[in-house]
Amino acid sequence: MLKKIECIIQPFKLEEVKEALKKIAVEGMTVTEVKGCGRQKGYKEEYPPDAPIRLLPKVKIEIVTEEEKVEKMIETIQSLARTNQIGAGKIFVIPVEDVIRIRTKERGRIAID
Amino acid sequence: MIKAEDKVRNPWYYALQQLDEVAELINLEPWIHKKLRHPRRELTVSIPVRMDSGEIEVFTGYRVQHCITPGPAKGGIRYDPDVTLDEIRALAMWMTWKCAVVGLPYGGAKGGVVCDPTKLSQDELERLTRRYTSEILIMIGPERDVPAPDINTNSQVMAWIMDTYSVDRGYSVPGVVTGKPVVLGGSLGREGATGKGVVFTLLNTLKYLDQSIEGKRVVIQGFGKVGSVVAHLLYKEGAKIIAISEIDGGIYNPEGLDPEKVMTHKKEAGSVVGYKDAEFITNEELFRLECDILIPAATENQITEENASEIRANLVVEAANGPTTPSADKILKERGIFVVPDILANAGGVTVSYFEWVQGMQGYFWSEREVNLKLRDIMTRAFHRVLEVSLKEKVDMRTAALMVAVSRIAEATRLRGLYP
Repeated sequence: MLKKIECIIQPFKLEEVKEALKKIAVEGMTVTEVKGCGRQKGYKEEYPPDAPIRLLPKVKIEIVTEEEKVEKMIETIQSLARTNQIGAGKIFVIPVEDVIRIRTKERGRIAID
Repeated sequence: MIKAEDKVRNPWYYALQQLDEVAELINLEPWIHKKLRHPRRELTVSIPVRMDSGEIEVFTGYRVQHCITPGPAKGGIRYDPDVTLDEIRALAMWMTWKCAVVGLPYGGAKGGVVCDPTKLSQDELERLTRRYTSEILIMIGPERDVPAPDINTNSQVMAWIMDTYSVDRGYSVPGVVTGKPVVLGGSLGREGATGKGVVFTLLNTLKYLDQSIEGKRVVIQGFGKVGSVVAHLLYKEGAKIIAISEIDGGIYNPEGLDPEKVMTHKKEAGSVVGYKDAEFITNEELFRLECDILIPAATENQITEENASEIRANLVVEAANGPTTPSADKILKERGIFVVPDILANAGGVTVSYFEWVQGMQGYFWSEREVNLKLRDIMTRAFHRVLEVSLKEKVDMRTAALMVAVSRIAEATRLRGLYP
């Protein structure tokens, strides 16, 4: 079973996380600069209920991997992306139906190896 | 009828008392109440076993099906010198509630053999298991009653039961038991499932109480199939395991114990006692330790009216079955200690047993990750359902869990009606 790990983290954590992922043999990843908010709606302090949502800059990393490697990756990302503050981000695990490597037409597990 | 002098620490008496209280709270119809007060079927068997010495010993075994209204009965088999019919009856009733509280399509059962497995050789244990299986064969089966491991029984014992049943039928029937070895149709993630379920429930409780697990001082009674898993997982989550005990005593270190090292010691020494980085404590002292979370993960009747007033934890999570006596429960309630009841907290084992049964019926097996995620899902849903009732009806979690469970069984009974 293939899974996609999609994590949203603080931009300043990207460098560390990406190098650590390389060390645990992550082959490929896609990184996007994104904006978003969580429960605090982008505010660090108390905010009035009618305050507009503040979208803060974040980084999204997407990795497709085999199910057996998911926990190790979660552990790695979680330990490095922690800031001990709100807004450190989230990790989503999503089922992937299939993968196709365009150049070789390979499909499935071999397409990410 | 249970005589007054037998009421002391008789789990069947406690179980009936609990049912009576809940019946009143949910206005249970008298006929359903009466029906649920009586186990559906009980079988007492004599088990003659040829011992290694050549002599023949006769052991006594039981299988009780408390309820088969929602589906097949489900419940473990224990080998223990203290097994009594009343204990098995109570445990069977609790299995009915436990399956109902998490919403599994099962009734409740329990089995036991009066024996001391530490004094039996592996061969004697096998002969005992096979003869017991053959004696209760008329009661069990994938659509009738599905046993599972309990105290002093494991996946090997389940494999013997499965084999004995299959030989009788003339074909392999993996669905007759759960908790089997993986190669015989067991589920990944079954070992340790009860412990994992306890931890999911504990984390849900802390989330509700707006607390974090990190740095919490945890005391665990029992370091077997459940306690050791709970200790490992909570240690990984950042909790501080300050004391662990087993039947012969315990170990205490206010700075925290490393469960992995304790396990290494246990494997060498046969018990946690004697672990070098800790001081010895008795089981009684363990219950009186200053801590945040107390997890009884051994047997019944451990928190009693003698020690309940001295418990210094804010949160008690019952990993064992029936560890708190009703009078102790009242004391804990009065003292404002939050108790997560057994039928909710330790339902992870039977839930993964259910997954094993489902996978076996489908003949299609899931990954361990899938098992764990589905377990978390079911445990979390059950926790919130019980919490909701507890807040709405202003009752403690145990009463709420029983209300959820008894209501579900009552509804099934009502819908099926009474034959003829």
